[in-house]
Amino acid sequence: MATGALLQAINGTSLAALLFLVASGFTVTFGLMRVVNMAYGAYYLLGGYVGLSIAQASGSFALAVVGGGAAVVVFGFLVDRFLIRHTGENHLAQVLLTVGVAFVVGDVALKIWGGDSLKVPVPLFLRGAMELPGGLVYPTFRFVLILFGVAVAGVLWVLYTRTQIGAVVRAGVDDREQVAATGIDVDRLFAMVSALASFMAGMAGVVGGAFLTLYPGAEWEILIVALVVVIVGGLGSLGGAMIGALVVGLLDAYGRWLLPEFSYFVLFGPMAVLLLFRPRGIAGKDA
Amino acid sequence: MSTTTTRPPRPVRRLAPLLVVAALLAAAGVQAQGEPIRIGFLIPLTGPLATPGQDMRDGFTLFWEQVNHQAGGRKVQVITADTTCNPDQALTQARRVVHQEKVHFMVGPLCGHEGPAVAQVSKETGVPLLMDTAGADTVTKWDRTPTVVRTAVSASQIGHPWGDYLYRELGLRNVTFIGQDYTWGHEVTLGAVQTFRELGGKVAKIIWNPIGTRDYGPTIAAIPADTDGVSAVVVGVDRVRLFEAWFNFGMDKKKKIYGAYWMHQDVLPQMDERAVGLIGNSLHYAAGLDTPENRAFTEAFARKYKRLPSWFAESAYTTGLWTKTATDAIKGRVEDRAAFLKAVRTVRINAPRGPLRLDEYDNPIQNVYVSKVQKIKHPVLGEVLTNVPFKTYPAVSQFWTWKPEEFLKRGPYKR
Amino acid sequence: MTPARLAGAAALAVAAAVLPEVAGPFWMGLVTQMLVFGVLALSVDLLLGHAGLFSICHGSFFAVAAYTTALLEVRYAVATAMAAPAGLLAGTLLGLVFGLAVRTRGVYFILITIAFGYVVWGVAHRWSSFTGGDNGVTNVPFPAVAGVRIDSHTEYYYLVLVAVALVALGYGRVIRSPFGLALRGIKGSESRMRTLGYDSNRHLYAAFVLSAALASLAGVLYVYYNRFVNPVAASFPVSVEAALMAIIGGTGTILGPFIGSIIILGLRNWVSSFFELYAAIMGLVFIVAVLWVPEGLVGLAARVRGRRAPAGPGSATG
Repeated sequence: MATGALLQAINGTSLAALLFLVASGFTVTFGLMRVVNMAYGAYYLLGGYVGLSIAQASGSFALAVVGGGAAVVVFGFLVDRFLIRHTGENHLAQVLLTVGVAFVVGDVALKIWGGDSLKVPVPLFLRGAMELPGGLVYPTFRFVLILFGVAVAGVLWVLYTRTQIGAVVRAGVDDREQVAATGIDVDRLFAMVSALASFMAGMAGVVGGAFLTLYPGAEWEILIVALVVVIVGGLGSLGGAMIGALVVGLLDAYGRWLLPEFSYFVLFGPMAVLLLFRPRGIAGKDA
Repeated sequence: MSTTTTRPPRPVRRLAPLLVVAALLAAAGVQAQGEPIRIGFLIPLTGPLATPGQDMRDGFTLFWEQVNHQAGGRKVQVITADTTCNPDQALTQARRVVHQEKVHFMVGPLCGHEGPAVAQVSKETGVPLLMDTAGADTVTKWDRTPTVVRTAVSASQIGHPWGDYLYRELGLRNVTFIGQDYTWGHEVTLGAVQTFRELGGKVAKIIWNPIGTRDYGPTIAAIPADTDGVSAVVVGVDRVRLFEAWFNFGMDKKKKIYGAYWMHQDVLPQMDERAVGLIGNSLHYAAGLDTPENRAFTEAFARKYKRLPSWFAESAYTTGLWTKTATDAIKGRVEDRAAFLKAVRTVRINAPRGPLRLDEYDNPIQNVYVSKVQKIKHPVLGEVLTNVPFKTYPAVSQFWTWKPEEFLKRGPYKR
Repeated sequence: MTPARLAGAAALAVAAAVLPEVAGPFWMGLVTQMLVFGVLALSVDLLLGHAGLFSICHGSFFAVAAYTTALLEVRYAVATAMAAPAGLLAGTLLGLVFGLAVRTRGVYFILITIAFGYVVWGVAHRWSSFTGGDNGVTNVPFPAVAGVRIDSHTEYYYLVLVAVALVALGYGRVIRSPFGLALRGIKGSESRMRTLGYDSNRHLYAAFVLSAALASLAGVLYVYYNRFVNPVAASFPVSVEAALMAIIGGTGTILGPFIGSIIILGLRNWVSSFFELYAAIMGLVFIVAVLWVPEGLVGLAARVRGRRAPAGPGSATG
């Protein structure tokens, strides 16, 4: 049983890495711009599919990851500029609007890439299994994903806490008007942060598509779990997203292993309880 | 009333345009019977099951084209309705084709859980339904509707021979069963468990996975170390995921896995060399089946659609054949629903999958093939992966070797 | 009521009464659906248009009520007189539990209701030994109370018509009552209401439970019409569409949700018969509605007629 538990811990951590990529963008976007973007799942899907096509055409996984991310940056920019911009801070309108966007993206993607579950092809050196200490055999790709997630989290954390830009963003999350009052170009700041968030979501799609596959409905599945991460960790907090991702990833893995019928309960139960006693999540900001 | 056995006409590709012209002329001339026969074809055209739905559509279309859209001396009109694999939609569309389009009978639906919903409409309105894919056991056992017959397969029908196969042919004694956690998955898996146990086999474990399980890691981790074989029943997206997980976790070096319901033709294009040699399915159809009827069918299908047919496509094609045979037998008078249903129940068909007839519970008695995934050189498509049968269980009934009353008393397979 | 309005209402009543004769069983069935989902949309609007809370979990109450009634009737042969109220009760009880969400506001509230909705859907889906899983519950009989049987879809249509009319009347009383006024006050400015001594949480909780009861009623009406229920009834798109119906038709009104229901269901049935990208169309409708018609069709009509429109969703005034 010990190997089973250890295996699930690694599984959960690899899922957490993926969730962090999707959730961090969502949470920072909300924290800074007060925008609720329910199309993040669709961004994941779109990035994944575009990356898939790039990988199939070019044979390069790296290109696919970057290309998928870039495609979503462009798309996200259009959605921000022409649609979300008109909703101000009306969260309800944002939810409806972005759900609508997600519906459109999902349907168009279905038309273009079809309804089968497609796997993003992975370079040879990442395929197959590797032997971990203790005799545990684990898929190489997913292990590398954990390292990748940690690296990205590290980079983001450093950017966020140790650079000037990060300081400005943090200030903006705390109090946007003050930041604008100091003369900083808030619009450009938003655009940059939004672009980074979009890039991460798109990248997550390619990476996730390599082991979870891409298929109609994937955008909602990943979104709902990312939402739990964000709620648990607290909207607007990058650190919260990291903790939340780990908690949710592990809960999901252990839940599916021990209580597969109630896996949704295992995920949402703790979240609901947490919310009733601490509505802001672990480290959240004001709604 | 005489029954006829027909074979689908040999397709003659070069004469296709001539056939179209002939059909047009014939249609113009055949005003004798007046009204065309309208068939309500309920399939998912959009949504996650769009691809098998497309297979069904292609199979059905191919058949009617081959016979010039004629049956019983009348023209045949197919009215396709999109159910999106959603029982609500299926219900609404079924009611629409019955009330608005005034179809004479319905064919479909695809998804198991749509089956009872559409059967309900058939019961409400009396319009016959030929269930050509949805496979829930109960439809032809405990929850029958007089106006509904099944032309495809009942879930446990393919599970029973599999249990026998595991024990007798593979010599396994301590099997782990991986099953998809919904009605079809339950019934196929537990049907196999039943026969396996009756022969003396031991079940090491049954692992249930909800449809759309993202991560097969936990499942792999739960396979007991002392099991001597793994049986897999997976559908949809999960087929690829299990496949990948099996190799990614290095299980191919430790254990053997056998597909009871796994590698269908429609998922093979996404597989690779590693699938070759694996037992893919215990199913009533395999594209690699070597009979004249199937060769004709797969060649025609491959030429027209540039891929090999899955069981969804064959099922729709055969249902077309079935309805035409029945309609011919009653000289086209499908308005007489009782006569139509009687004809459907009494004709015998030589389908691409083999010889077919219905039992008294409105389910086909048919062969079940255990097949392996092989790479073949197809005359039209070149090198492709396909399922080639290598063991046939002939004339398997949905009740296997038990008496129907005995089986019914036991109740449905539930997990 | 102005004479014009009275004439309009009369015309509507006549049209509704003769529909089965004139339009046939398919349209009658569709209109029945529109009425039932209109009630669901109404329940969402009680919170949205009057209390300012955007709940995307009302499909849960709808489904729980439908399942309860269906299972009682089909599996335990319980008569309508008990099964229908039981369904109503079940959904309302769930509302008592989910209503705890009113401890949060704004986007957190929205997210929590989404999560709640998924839990119910997950249970309906996975607990297949009890709920029948994906297969759902089939062959629910028509309702029959104290010797009075409904025997056809036509009779059921009239039953629903009457029920909906009563619901609309009752709903109108509620929203015009002091309670309704208090809700709108909270929607406008919660802090101000608090300083006036109103316990906003208590009001919102009551509104939530009431809306859950209304959604449950829709669920019961639904299951006797469809005579079938499965987990899709509890799915996210159902809840979202209910909200959209309210918005498209016009939140804060009684007619709005029903108009929205007519539009959405009509669109779905009409478009899907000839166009494949139906979901994309729905998505576009969402987008268009939010950007250009936030006050809904009722508001738009009022605007066109030159009167002041009721404020759109999520806005502070109202």
